[in-house]
Amino acid sequence: MDLQQKLSHLVNLNYDIVAEYLVKRLREYIAESGKKGGIVGVSGGIDSAVVATLLSRATHNYFFLLLPSSSTPARDVQDALELTEMLGGRDKREVVEIDGIVREVGSRVKSEDPLVLGNAKARIRMTLLYAFAQKLDYLVIGTGDKSEILLGYFTKYGDGGVDVLPIGDLYKTQVRLLGRHLGVPEKIVTKPSSPALWEGQTAEGELGLSYEVADAILYSRFEEMKGPEEVAKELGVDISLVRRVDELVMRSQHKRLPPEIFRLSGRAINSDWRYPRAWA
Amino acid sequence: MGVKVEIVQIKSRLGKIRDNYELHASELRSSTADCVVFPELSLTGYVLRDLVYELVAEAQRYSEKLSEEGRCAIFGTLAEVRPGIIWNAAGVVVDGKLTYVPKFFLPTYGLFEERRYFQPGDPKRDLVTFRIRDVNFGVVICEDAWHPEPIEALARMGADLVFVPSASPVRRLSQPLDIQVSWQSLLRAHSLMNGVWTVFSNMVGAQEEEFFWGGSFFMSPRGKVTAEAPIMEESRLLGDITLDEVRLSRRFSSFRDHIREFHEVLRNL
Repeated sequence: MDLQQKLSHLVNLNYDIVAEYLVKRLREYIAESGKKGGIVGVSGGIDSAVVATLLSRATHNYFFLLLPSSSTPARDVQDALELTEMLGGRDKREVVEIDGIVREVGSRVKSEDPLVLGNAKARIRMTLLYAFAQKLDYLVIGTGDKSEILLGYFTKYGDGGVDVLPIGDLYKTQVRLLGRHLGVPEKIVTKPSSPALWEGQTAEGELGLSYEVADAILYSRFEEMKGPEEVAKELGVDISLVRRVDELVMRSQHKRLPPEIFRLSGRAINSDWRYPRAWA
Repeated sequence: MGVKVEIVQIKSRLGKIRDNYELHASELRSSTADCVVFPELSLTGYVLRDLVYELVAEAQRYSEKLSEEGRCAIFGTLAEVRPGIIWNAAGVVVDGKLTYVPKFFLPTYGLFEERRYFQPGDPKRDLVTFRIRDVNFGVVICEDAWHPEPIEALARMGADLVFVPSASPVRRLSQPLDIQVSWQSLLRAHSLMNGVWTVFSNMVGAQEEEFFWGGSFFMSPRGKVTAEAPIMEESRLLGDITLDEVRLSRRFSSFRDHIREFHEVLRNL
């Protein structure tokens, strides 16, 4: 299969069933957690639009938080407002502008490095989401997708700091089609992905490859478990792209796991501690 | 009469086979011993998890390459013996010939998950003895020494010496380590009951959340630790394996008695 065929194969899901399952599972997960509902940060991008839509179908107890900063394009804020309104969440949303907090953090850290401040933004958003969630007795519903999680394209304890990841097993290209299926406005579906942690930042610019290429490579390497050379040959892409994806995935493994605990006792958490998440 | 053995207690780099190979090769080249023994999965590292599938082919390539050094060596590696059937194996090189010896007992409890990845050896086919100079030896891997049969079988097949390459992690940090006391007790019992030398070569250093404690040693057939490596650090340890010790131990040993009927009973339990 060449790249296009692989992508067609990849995105060829029954989105009716996928949407139905995710909504049902999210409803169930919230109920089993003992919390009253869910909160999600809505950015104006595709991932949060899809999660917001799923959440609004799973429960009446949802809340949308818009957390723009000066690096958030005005269009994104507009799109987020329109989307949340479209979902009927006019009374269940709040806009909290985070520049003041970011400036405060920046002045304490004495840094203007966009990476330092950008990741701080993501963690400030996480802090606010959890504060609202606690006030409401809700869960924080994450918006990370499989492409981002595998490539490590998220901030540890920022957008990575959530209670559950309902679309974490869908690649970006699949999420876009799910969004279209769910009725997310086309301008959000086709908008280039960006964390907007600094002005002009785009995911594909920063990663150095498009999500179409990344998804085809990720799928071939880690689901079909083919070797790098075979993948490059099959997809007709340069081997350097495959190696770059491999490197991103491998180097970000620490972001996908709980931190290492230095072992001292007869039974250590993580190492020989494998209770299910639903324990109590 | 006998042979000189060197234990190389190393901190293998997890999944970095080429680096580990270089380390093995240089240790082999610089050793004055007749045979050099490394820990379990020394060529690959122990806590591989799903990397097992990705590294098995490379591990075998480098195992072959290591055998080209032409030195007697026992090291830990992976071997795919049939498509999809992978052994946690000892690579045993004698006279330039590489043989893979599988682990029989694959721990899958507590922190261990070997049955997820490996298939066990078959005693009827895979229990083998080798010879260097006038010494017959066999190899069992780590958990195999926590059962009576593998070492007993090798001794009855003629081994004077049993190597036990291991990757034993610290469980509870104490002084002395509980696990160190256990290992010396186990191999002392095997040596005493079977009148054989046992050689424990353990991994050292951290891999993921496990810390391998080293403390490799030589246990004589009369139950004495004749040489012992430090714990928690890399080390090389030379020891003499003498057949006289085997001979002397067997003058006053229970090894002469073997009642097959016990094994028949065991077989049917």
